[in-house]
Amino acid sequence: MLHKRLQQFVLVYAAGVLSLILMKYLLHLSDYVIPGPLEIWRTALSVFVRYLRNVADTLWIAVVGHLISILLAFAIGIAGRRASWIGSLIHAAAYNIQAYPMVAVAPIIFILLGDGIIARLLIAVMICYFPLLLSVISILSEPVDSVEHFYEATGRMNWRLQMRIRAYENIHKLTTVIVGSATMAMVGTIVAEFVAADAGIGYSIRIALYQSDLSKILAALFLIGISTSLYLTALEWLGNVIQRKCQA
Amino acid sequence: MNRNIKIVGILGLAGYILLASVHGYCADTVTYRLKWLFNASVAGDLYADARGVFARHGLQVSVKEGSPEHDAIKELELGYAQFGAASADQIIRAVSMESPIVVIAQLFQKNPLQWVYRSAKLTIQSPVDFKGKTIGVTYGGNDETILRALMAKFGLARDSVNLYSVRYDYTPFYEGKVDLWPVYINAQGVIIRQKLATAGEKTAFFSPEAFGIRFVANSVITSRKLLKENPDMVNRFRQALIEGWQEAMAPENTEKTITVLRQFDKDTPEATAREQLTETRPLVQPGSPKDVGQINVTAWKQTEDIMLNQKLISGPVHVTRILKGNLKTD
Amino acid sequence: MMQIECQNISFQYPHTDIRVFQQLNCRIDDAGFHALFGPSGLGKTTLARMMAHEIGGYSGQILSDSSKKILYTHNMERLPGWASIGDIILSSIPVSDAERMQMLTDAFGMRPCMNARFRRLSLGQKNRANLIRYLLQDFDMLIMDESLANVDETTRGRIIITLKTLFAEKTFLYISHNMLEVARFCKDIIVLRSPDRLPQVQTLQGQDIMDAESFSMPAVEQTMLEIVHAS
Repeated sequence: MLHKRLQQFVLVYAAGVLSLILMKYLLHLSDYVIPGPLEIWRTALSVFVRYLRNVADTLWIAVVGHLISILLAFAIGIAGRRASWIGSLIHAAAYNIQAYPMVAVAPIIFILLGDGIIARLLIAVMICYFPLLLSVISILSEPVDSVEHFYEATGRMNWRLQMRIRAYENIHKLTTVIVGSATMAMVGTIVAEFVAADAGIGYSIRIALYQSDLSKILAALFLIGISTSLYLTALEWLGNVIQRKCQA
Repeated sequence: MNRNIKIVGILGLAGYILLASVHGYCADTVTYRLKWLFNASVAGDLYADARGVFARHGLQVSVKEGSPEHDAIKELELGYAQFGAASADQIIRAVSMESPIVVIAQLFQKNPLQWVYRSAKLTIQSPVDFKGKTIGVTYGGNDETILRALMAKFGLARDSVNLYSVRYDYTPFYEGKVDLWPVYINAQGVIIRQKLATAGEKTAFFSPEAFGIRFVANSVITSRKLLKENPDMVNRFRQALIEGWQEAMAPENTEKTITVLRQFDKDTPEATAREQLTETRPLVQPGSPKDVGQINVTAWKQTEDIMLNQKLISGPVHVTRILKGNLKTD
Repeated sequence: MMQIECQNISFQYPHTDIRVFQQLNCRIDDAGFHALFGPSGLGKTTLARMMAHEIGGYSGQILSDSSKKILYTHNMERLPGWASIGDIILSSIPVSDAERMQMLTDAFGMRPCMNARFRRLSLGQKNRANLIRYLLQDFDMLIMDESLANVDETTRGRIIITLKTLFAEKTFLYISHNMLEVARFCKDIIVLRSPDRLPQVQTLQGQDIMDAESFSMPAVEQTMLEIVHAS
């Protein structure tokens, strides 16, 4: 699984870099616009350790933010699954907020909370949480009639049992949604760092942008891709373990 | 058969005329990518556009707003723009990477980058007073380069000051977490000064230039190719731009310049725009209108030296070879 | 004793022109194993779920003692998969009913499967496991909508006889397409017809046999003939 995902990423990345280099030579662009392969390699070696630390910093914020988003999405999703006014309110609010560009809100968060970990974490959570919540609500509010009917008919149904049935029956969908939202958490964290933080790989990209240094940006993108692949693979593995246990 | 040949011939001729006319029209239509957002820092550029100075020189110029994401040098190479504004460090870095560009005018005779501080709280008479202070710096930005050059010149060890990473939000400065905050004196400098004045606090500015750091700021660039193939157009553009800046900086044209600025920048209050314009004048035209656009070779050389010392470029670029305008030396 | 009576039931599916019932009348007066029979698509499931108060929106009335518990079950129902079916069933009955559960699992031939998860069972075993848990509930009338559809004929017969023996005081309404089975085992046979044919329901008497081995084939054939005529 990891091997395949990494292979896919490296192929796409290599294709991207190759097309950039091709463009450089076809359009006779200077190293300032697109650096040569040797320069990219040299820069990658020189920033590797530092960027690796930055990516690790970004990754842990993304993982914690993702975890918080999952817990919140399930808590609110369970409350919002009912066809009550609270449920409708939560659903409508989540739908509208998730359509809102969080990047625009990010500077306000940094003004209010400073540029430390909390602000980065909050933005990561906000970008990842609302789409996740919508998916969780839609999955948990869908009745599984063939299983639930008995408990409804005999008056044994309670919300815990209902959630257990729906989560169990949709474990594959939920796993997919959680794995999918991991990318959002990573994107959220990088966006936050890019906009205003003073740490993480997003911040490094911003500095590289100030310096118009495409080599550094390419090195950062490579490490982001590798770390995201690792995280997604870990989540998929965990999801498979859970699904196998469910199907034992 | 003959009839077909005639039709093809007529169509071919029509196509040629159309192409020729389009080409002829495009020859004087150029794009000019600014370094930064529309504000007083680009007053002369906007003035030349809005008051018809470019048109007077037979040019139709599309003036495009800049931002950190827009790099005029790259746009020049990719053919999206024919002229652009870039900071000297950007230009030197690009030239060190074989970018085929030339400098045709220097917009700021003095670098607007300064550090603001609360004069009641601090006394900064020389960079030596920086010791133990928390100083804001944009890592990777030219303020970092300037600060490091200043510290090296005055023998300040790296750990003798606390550096604080800054962005566009000045809250840490307002809250007093940071003692000195980097600003462009003719842009954010005015805004911060006004805000703190409202709160009853006095501000002062520290200028690296006053302590011998000559680091060139925004300059106008074009491609070597365009200069070679169409020197007349490049000269007309430079002349139009210089005239635009001279007219915009002339005190008697203040109202006209403010009107132009308000036309492009609707967010800045008029009072602020006026103050920004006042601060811009001595930076662009420290003496007579003749100063406008002059390329200060000494300052450029020093800028290159600073970048070499800080290993921001791998070797000398001999920057004077790309300076192609009205040159002067101190 | 469970009594249920449908009076002048008319119904059409919401937002459609499809008329399902037209002045439908039928009744079940006593305990026993009764049948609801009719071709597919005529509304047997709809009528059954109306009786179990799972569907409303009809005109007319369904009269029954409100203190009596009517349950409806169908052959597509599943048990949750997170535990063995034995544990799942035990979790839905009082501890005191564990012995009854053992008896039913033996009678239904399900003892070897009780430690398996639901998804591991064959379709017939799934039907039986589901029926066992319904039989262990408190009910007066159980409507079995093709609840044994995937069980082989011999086992099905044995199960029906077991039900009739062990739950003699309860009322069952068995929905099936198997005419022979309905004719042999059921007491009242409610034959449902198209709403274009009035009355929409005809009630016949089945053979209601208590022994799968000994019964009068001519009598069963006679009942089957009546069902065919009534349909």
